[in-house]
Amino acid sequence: MEVTQVLLNAQSIDGAVRKNAEESLKQFQEQNLPGFLLVLSGELVNEEKPVETRKLAGLILKNALDAKDQQRKVELVQRWLLLDGNAKSQIKAGLLKTLTSPVSDARSTASQVIAKVAGIELPHKQWPELIGSLLSNVHQLPAHAKQATLETLGYLCEEVSPDVIDQDQVNKILTAVVQGMSSSEVNIDVRLAATRALYNALGFAQANFSNDMERDYLMRVVCEATQSPDVRIRQAAFECLVSISSTYYEKLAPYIQDIFNITAKAVREDEEPVALQAVEFWSSICDEEIDILEEYGGDFTGDSNIPCFYFIKQAILALVPMLLETLLKQEEDQDQDEGAWNIAMAGGTCLGLVARTVGDDIVPLVVPFIEENISKPDWRQREAATYAFGSILEGPSPEKLIPLVNVALTFMLTALTKDPNSHVKDTTAWTLGRIFEFLHGSAVDTPIITQANCQQIITVLLQSMKDTPNVAEKACGALYFLAQGYEEVGPSSPLTPFFQEIVQSLLTVTHREDARESRLRTAAYETLNEVVRCSTEETAPLVLQLVPVITMELHNTLEGQNLSSDEKEKQSELQGLLCGCLQVIIQKLGSSESTKYAFMQYADQIMGLFLKVFACRSATVHEEAMLAIGALAYATGPDFAKYMPEFYKYLEMGLQNFEEYQVCAVTVGVVGDICRALEEKIVPYCDGIMTQLLKNLSSNQLHRSVKPPMFSCFGDIALAVGEYFEKYLMWAMSALQSAAELSTHTAGDDELIEYINTLRNGILEAYSGIFQGFKNSPKTQLLIPYAPHILQFLDGIYMEKDMDDVVMKTAIGVLGDLADTLGSHAASLIQQSVSSKDFLNECLSSEDLMIKESAEWAKLAITRAISV
Amino acid sequence: MADDSLASHRRDPIKSSVGNVAAQRRRQNAATVGKERRESLVRAKRLCRVGATGEGDVLVEENHMMTDEEGFLLEDQTSSAVKELKSAVVYQGKGAMQKRVNALRELRRLLSKSEFPPVEAALKAGAIPLLVQCLSFGSPDEQLLEAAWCLTNIAAGKPEETKALLPALPLLIAHLGEKSSLPVAEQCAWALGNVAGEGEELRKVLLSQGALPPLARMVLPNKGSTVRTAAWALSNLIKGPDPKAATELIKVDGVLDAILRHLRKSDEELATEVAWVVVYLSALSNFATGVLVKSDALQPLVERLATSNSLQLLIPVLRSLGNLVAGDSHTTSTVLIPGHEITDGVIKVLVKCLKSDHRVLKKEASWVLSNIAAGSIEHKQLIYSSEAVPLLLRLLSTAPFDIRKEVAYVLGNLCVAPATGEGKPDLIKENLVSLVQRGCLSGFIDLVRSADIEAARLGLQFTELVLRGMPNGDGPKLVEQEDGIDAMERYQFHENEDLRNMANGLVDKYFGEDYGVNE
Repeated sequence: MEVTQVLLNAQSIDGAVRKNAEESLKQFQEQNLPGFLLVLSGELVNEEKPVETRKLAGLILKNALDAKDQQRKVELVQRWLLLDGNAKSQIKAGLLKTLTSPVSDARSTASQVIAKVAGIELPHKQWPELIGSLLSNVHQLPAHAKQATLETLGYLCEEVSPDVIDQDQVNKILTAVVQGMSSSEVNIDVRLAATRALYNALGFAQANFSNDMERDYLMRVVCEATQSPDVRIRQAAFECLVSISSTYYEKLAPYIQDIFNITAKAVREDEEPVALQAVEFWSSICDEEIDILEEYGGDFTGDSNIPCFYFIKQAILALVPMLLETLLKQEEDQDQDEGAWNIAMAGGTCLGLVARTVGDDIVPLVVPFIEENISKPDWRQREAATYAFGSILEGPSPEKLIPLVNVALTFMLTALTKDPNSHVKDTTAWTLGRIFEFLHGSAVDTPIITQANCQQIITVLLQSMKDTPNVAEKACGALYFLAQGYEEVGPSSPLTPFFQEIVQSLLTVTHREDARESRLRTAAYETLNEVVRCSTEETAPLVLQLVPVITMELHNTLEGQNLSSDEKEKQSELQGLLCGCLQVIIQKLGSSESTKYAFMQYADQIMGLFLKVFACRSATVHEEAMLAIGALAYATGPDFAKYMPEFYKYLEMGLQNFEEYQVCAVTVGVVGDICRALEEKIVPYCDGIMTQLLKNLSSNQLHRSVKPPMFSCFGDIALAVGEYFEKYLMWAMSALQSAAELSTHTAGDDELIEYINTLRNGILEAYSGIFQGFKNSPKTQLLIPYAPHILQFLDGIYMEKDMDDVVMKTAIGVLGDLADTLGSHAASLIQQSVSSKDFLNECLSSEDLMIKESAEWAKLAITRAISV
Repeated sequence: MADDSLASHRRDPIKSSVGNVAAQRRRQNAATVGKERRESLVRAKRLCRVGATGEGDVLVEENHMMTDEEGFLLEDQTSSAVKELKSAVVYQGKGAMQKRVNALRELRRLLSKSEFPPVEAALKAGAIPLLVQCLSFGSPDEQLLEAAWCLTNIAAGKPEETKALLPALPLLIAHLGEKSSLPVAEQCAWALGNVAGEGEELRKVLLSQGALPPLARMVLPNKGSTVRTAAWALSNLIKGPDPKAATELIKVDGVLDAILRHLRKSDEELATEVAWVVVYLSALSNFATGVLVKSDALQPLVERLATSNSLQLLIPVLRSLGNLVAGDSHTTSTVLIPGHEITDGVIKVLVKCLKSDHRVLKKEASWVLSNIAAGSIEHKQLIYSSEAVPLLLRLLSTAPFDIRKEVAYVLGNLCVAPATGEGKPDLIKENLVSLVQRGCLSGFIDLVRSADIEAARLGLQFTELVLRGMPNGDGPKLVEQEDGIDAMERYQFHENEDLRNMANGLVDKYFGEDYGVNE
């Protein structure tokens, strides 16, 4: 096969030619993989070949080594590892040779492929000479080859994990990279490649950052690079600083003054991409300090390993003015552009983080800026002042903020109606929303919304909903938080007199011609939902009246036929909003007996509509409709059984859809809702549901976040069907057991530990459900064989000492359930377990009331089991 | 790649749209509602102990007292129920039958009510003789059913409680007969199944009293829960360890046909119980194994394995298949002939099981394959060229120990020719070389390090093959690369003489003084 021609054909504009070429490449690959890869690497290295075929050859080679899909990736890795050794050596030699090619695209492609090969081989202790050979003569190389070598090192650091490369090699890599960055290097491309490589290599430099000399040197080189004449290098250097700020926060003290000077200069003078990174550095420091201070929890004996250096507190006198300056650099239309990101937005965001980090201290620094600018003729100044105010509303204490807010509120309301500039109105409405979000509600002692101003606030907000879409959207947001603040207000809400008017205005907004702009329609429906959710008994009749209105809207979306894909998307989006609205209404009306009864007259009609919404799609189910059905199941109770024959197929479809894992997760939740509604009437559908759940659990493509709820769902089913669960017992227990084995030990970062705890909780909820489901049935003895393992699991997680409170509560409950259901059959096993003693005692003396309650119950059950 | 890997840091702006947060919150709220309802349901169940009386909201403290009281109450009620039954049994007046049935029903209800059935109280009050009396011939069905039900629940209790049923066994067996109504026969089978499950001693009693033939006849019909219960009871009854019952069962007229028919056609639940019967038949009785093999039992087993996804069914079916292959050399040599359709079918379903996520299936499938791989050269080549080998290789490096061991048997068997006589087995060089090239050696060396003698021996044997058989004398080098020398040297002073000699012999022979001199 003349591969060059085939590769050219594969890029042909003629579809038939292209398809033909792709087909023959695929065939070649399947018939003779080593040969195929060899030919590709041969093409890539060959200087006589056209650049586009060389690039494509490299790309195909790369795709033969890595894939997004996890399972496919594992296969590719296995295939490469099993490949003939000679072929591999030849391919690798070709790749390394390509790094010296005069053709830049060829070099760059080879860099990426080498990194992929390294990503596979280095963890298996293969290709040990790679790093050595890359570095051996890097100094003597011509600039273009040096640049390619550094780029390769960068990609390599991105691909492999730090524990795979020993310190000696790390040192060599860092040395080469840092030399490439230093001012003695004349070639700009080399310096850029080196700076970008350092960004990836920083994760490898733990040891080097612990050594004062080496750290000083690294920091100096990075800081120097931020002064490079080339903007790309400056940007890359600041990105390195951002990465250092989160990875090596605790090492920064000696450099923070210098870094402040550098970033301040960049924020004020440099081009925007660089300035954005400079601001990002401070945002990232705020992230670190907020995390550390949260872990302290106000108590300085906390067990956080990293102390807080209070960099932000020390820098605010200079930092805050710098950030305030950025606020004046707004872009004209940034409010209409959803993807906008500029220095003013970054500055305000950072200011918000600073406020959360330092609290009250920021207020006196920002207030003069607000006072000076808020009434200026230039809209930029008025907007910046408002934005500054809105940004600092989270963090400082209400005592500090409320006096300011009381002064500002009237001003803001006037600005929202009268300011000639839409940008100012937008930010004003957003700031009102922030005021209501953080300073209004039952948790705040002195109310800022009173009988005196409530009417005015609502009138202004409803008025602003007729403004341009972006302003109207922010006004909806403000109303959202206003309603939320009255969530627990008691039998009578200050919003009751305005309820009808608010609902009417929101519905009018949803019908605006331009409601799709600035996500206005979404904001209006979500605000309507919140108003309904936080409403009181007084307005229940009005909520009931909403049912036919929203139902009719949903019915109208089903009218269109032969829709284009764009129209279909719009239809589906609108259906989602309406289903979401019905979900909230059903929840609300279903929560009290009197309203539930009145609502039930609509249940059949609504369910019919949901089924039609499902039918609008062929392969996937509508997530929002699914959620709403969960709410409907609670409201209807056992009567939901009549909908099951028709609904079941969509339920199954949702469970099967684990590519869209959120849909799957929502559906799993709905299965639980339905179990509780139907109880034993779910039996006819259990075979299908359990089969699908077990199938999902055994798939390695399932998103891990769906696993815990799936296990909980076993418990829901067992609780609903009782001893009928016997049918699935062996399967379910074996799935639980293998998951339990995996989740006994945690090793990894906080995120993993958090996940493992969620997983444990799901497993434990399943056990609880199964035990309680079998209780009082003549078949409890079926559970006896599983008791030893379950107790072992409880002991195991207890010994690990890393479970959270939720797991602790569920786990001790399971111990009780086991004793309760198995009784004397498990007495001796229970007595042998650590859980029944140390763990139980620990829980009995817990300060968490929920844990204590579960523990007391467990103690009781154990006493009974042992005494029988 | 270059562009997206360096994509600039970009955080969410502080000024964001309310829609994003709100929808997320709504979703979380739905999940929270579900979670709260689950918790309150579990709480209610925990507090509610006897029956579903809807008194869920009692405080825990009070509940403790109540429960003890209720436990006591239950025992008390049971004693009076037995007393009531006693008076009903002696009563001969008008409505005597209804009185007996009512008393039985009350006792049955009490025995089914709680997770701690008050069996002891019932026995102490003298329930058994009364129940036996209620089982007497000519009693109405309803009475028989209730009495057998009471006995079923008593038999599910502790071992000594089960033994209390001894006086009732002859009548329970008698009611299995054709003259009984189906529900009565089924209930009696259930009680007897519980008794048989208790242990060898009670099984012997049941067999000597002739429980087997009537139970066997109950599995002859095509379907129904009675057939399923009877099959379950039978599987308990023939559990052995004495193989006599298994042999006797297969000889009962029509049983063989019924087994094959159920395996072929019945629903999965019935097929599962029948498959367990086949498991014990083939595990215990050579005679039964022979009969099953000759009657083509392999075919329906393979079909079930190919079509079902029910783990409950797959496990007994796979084990039956394994027993048939391992238990009778005839199976491999004359039924599973390479080239025959059934042989390919077997390999295919075994591959399916190897791919499964369930460890029992993987382990048992490997075990079956190892038996087939012990057959002729053609059998070895058949497996060798099948889809099984890559799966086995992966399992050898990743699976839990017990599976790896079975896998090692298969791979080991693939590399040696069938035994011809004395001395070391002949190699199948081609297979050995290719399996080693595909990385299997490290798995075997791992086994050498294992504390399990059998696995270690297997590892050493394979190492010997590599040392002896790899071309160009590459063997020693390969073994050394995998740290094999170190693994074998651990046996220098091992307590097992056989392994010690084997390991030391290999080290001396292949890594003696001359080793490495030429390099």
